[in-house]
Amino acid sequence: MIRRNLKRLLRIATLALCGVLPPVQALEIGEAAPALVAMQPDGRALALASLRGQVVYVDFWASWCAPCLQAMPALDALQRRYGARGFAVIGVNVDTERKAALRMLERVGVGFAIVLDPQGRWPEAFGLSAMPSGYLLDRAGVVRFVKAGYMAKDLPQIEAAVLTLLGDDGDAKTMAPRAATGGAAP
Amino acid sequence: MQRRWHLALPLAALLLSACATVQPWQRGDLARNEMAFEPDPLLASYRRHVEFSKEAASGGATLSGGGCGCN
Repeated sequence: MIRRNLKRLLRIATLALCGVLPPVQALEIGEAAPALVAMQPDGRALALASLRGQVVYVDFWASWCAPCLQAMPALDALQRRYGARGFAVIGVNVDTERKAALRMLERVGVGFAIVLDPQGRWPEAFGLSAMPSGYLLDRAGVVRFVKAGYMAKDLPQIEAAVLTLLGDDGDAKTMAPRAATGGAAP
Repeated sequence: MQRRWHLALPLAALLLSACATVQPWQRGDLARNEMAFEPDPLLASYRRHVEFSKEAASGGATLSGGGCGCN
């Protein structure tokens, strides 16, 4: 009798759990970024490892994500400002439709490197919890800062993290008030 | 025979399951305009007005209440 009840319980538990996939393992601060490669819009491959030696902000974006549209010009401005000091932004597009991604790129017109990942390998490897998300990697490729979501007031926080990794935290006030409307300093 | 069913049922449930976890980066289709309950705000506002006029109760789908006109 007990055995039969146990079997019934097992069956119910299986039915209840069958639709639930295990959660994606999120990349934590202090962990090394995975070795990933993806195609750029022009067809050339770009490996994340090739940016080793620079402070890299990996920005996940999609054409259907409104805050991404807001984040991209701000990140582009950050790269223009700190690129010469060894800071690079890489935009990882997760659209399944290439055309939609290219349309948004034309609209936003950013200068940083873009890779297209319609299969979602990069976000899966990073364990994304929200769109957009940004991961700041140090020169050794280790995650030092994670930003889930984006609002204009987040920019000073991102900039401060970049400057810390670039080895200078006395310059953070210079850009933040201009780009982040109404944002508080971190 | 019964033992086979014990194995087959959970296996079938697993394979035939329609449930799936949609990850944040997979929400492109869900973000489409046609996936919204009310894709057109103007039409939605018109519908609310028709409901209000017919039912003599405002709030539409967002408020509870009958057609007494007292809320």
